[in-house]
Amino acid sequence: MADKLTLRQVAKTFEVDGGAVPVLQPFDLSVADGEFVTIVGPSGCGKSTLFNIVAGLLPSDGGGRVLIDGQPVVSTLGRVGYMPQRDLLLPWRTVLDNAVLGLEIQGVARAEARRRALDVIGQFGLEGFARYYPFALSGGMKQRVALLRTFLFQSDVMLLDEPFGALDALTRSILQEWLAGVCARHRRTILFITHDVEEAIFLGDRVVVMTARPGRLKLEVKVELERPRAPQLVTSESFVALKKQILDAIRDESLRSFTAQGGEDPRA
Amino acid sequence: MTRPAGMRRAVMAGAQQAAALGAFLAAWELLVRLLAMPKPLVPAPTVIAAELWQIRGLIAGSAAYTMSTALAGYGLAVAIGVTLAIVLSSAPVLERGLFPFFVASQAVPIIAFSAVVILWLGNGPLSKVAIAFYLSFFPITVSVVKGLSSCDPASVALLRTFGARPAQMLWKLRMPVMLPFLFVALRVATTTALIGAIVGEWFGDNRGIGTLILQSLYAEDTVRLWCGIVACAVMGTLFYGAVVVVERRLLWWPAPALDV
Repeated sequence: MADKLTLRQVAKTFEVDGGAVPVLQPFDLSVADGEFVTIVGPSGCGKSTLFNIVAGLLPSDGGGRVLIDGQPVVSTLGRVGYMPQRDLLLPWRTVLDNAVLGLEIQGVARAEARRRALDVIGQFGLEGFARYYPFALSGGMKQRVALLRTFLFQSDVMLLDEPFGALDALTRSILQEWLAGVCARHRRTILFITHDVEEAIFLGDRVVVMTARPGRLKLEVKVELERPRAPQLVTSESFVALKKQILDAIRDESLRSFTAQGGEDPRA
Repeated sequence: MTRPAGMRRAVMAGAQQAAALGAFLAAWELLVRLLAMPKPLVPAPTVIAAELWQIRGLIAGSAAYTMSTALAGYGLAVAIGVTLAIVLSSAPVLERGLFPFFVASQAVPIIAFSAVVILWLGNGPLSKVAIAFYLSFFPITVSVVKGLSSCDPASVALLRTFGARPAQMLWKLRMPVMLPFLFVALRVATTTALIGAIVGEWFGDNRGIGTLILQSLYAEDTVRLWCGIVACAVMGTLFYGAVVVVERRLLWWPAPALDV
């Protein structure tokens, strides 16, 4: 499959109080058309900075480039569907009107945008809630509205930044299974950040592990588990083996990051 | 379910407020009668009410005149204040360069200015409109500037990733976020617009509630003076109430608490 998204030597160093803090070291990554890539790493490893660069919110340092369909783009603003950690629903808009926000900004007529949203709203578990305002929804529902908004926005790539991070474990696992189903039905190219290794394996075609700050690529694992994936899969032998491999890599990095911040190595 | 319950609560609150007002008026009446001053500085409510009825045509005409200049000044203040705020906040250079002067201009007490405004614009309604405008557009501009810049940066980032142009950012995000700030100012501005219209009349006019109050003062007609005060209170309350009604219709979402 052709590469949908290519990152070439993407890097970022921030200036803090006159000092240079490298957050992201030159980073290469390709995501194939229709591929679901999950990124895991210790907190503060520059995952969100990476996303901001891919979304076009931050420029990469130096010669870093973001390519879409193999073509370098001036800016990815308006081409990448970005879903931040918080749902960021607009409180004055109904579920339906929040969902079509991206389409509206792309210039799709409101009636057409609403029709498209209503076509899939059931798949997002929001049937009958189109006219509700966000304050009346549960956390899981708000997150699904935000996903629907990202999903409807016509984009080459979807960036999901810990979309289930703030939810309780049960809601989270239900939504993971649901997201896997939605993705199977509509083949989309997705980059997904999480700090939950099980989530990363369960959802991803490929898992990318990042090092502690400054972020680099530490490990890349293809997930050869068959789809559709059932929740029981997480206890299967192949899943557990993958999980161990990734956890070991992350544990290394988390410890490195912890001791670098002045913490004591618990192994010492 | 919530609506009838809310309505009942509103009716209850209204009844309680009416009872409180009634008790207040009764106490006032009683006190004036007990003290039995030959020429009371504070006439009894019944006396004021009788006079109000007597001169109802004059009061209504004066109130209409004052209210219309206040409303015109208020309308101008909203239009110009909001526009100015949008311009200021869309160009940081302008905001940094002009805003301090703008604030300084408000340090000049309006009273010092009003006489000149009468000289410039004459004894007619125009000068009252100008003074009402001058007094009320400042809080509106300041509030709106603040409101337009108080968007969640994450929401701004989200709209940018959708490819939002500045105009879309303004209409789809910054304006709705600004609305609660605007309404705080719109409520304050009802009072300042009325003050402007009344004070303007004191500097020169032969119509309006301000004029009526001033003439009653010169004639030492305390009852008529109090009729003017009551008219002002009624105008102010209705004006404020109308803005609150509009606010409730336009701000249906739970807005964050404001510290303006």
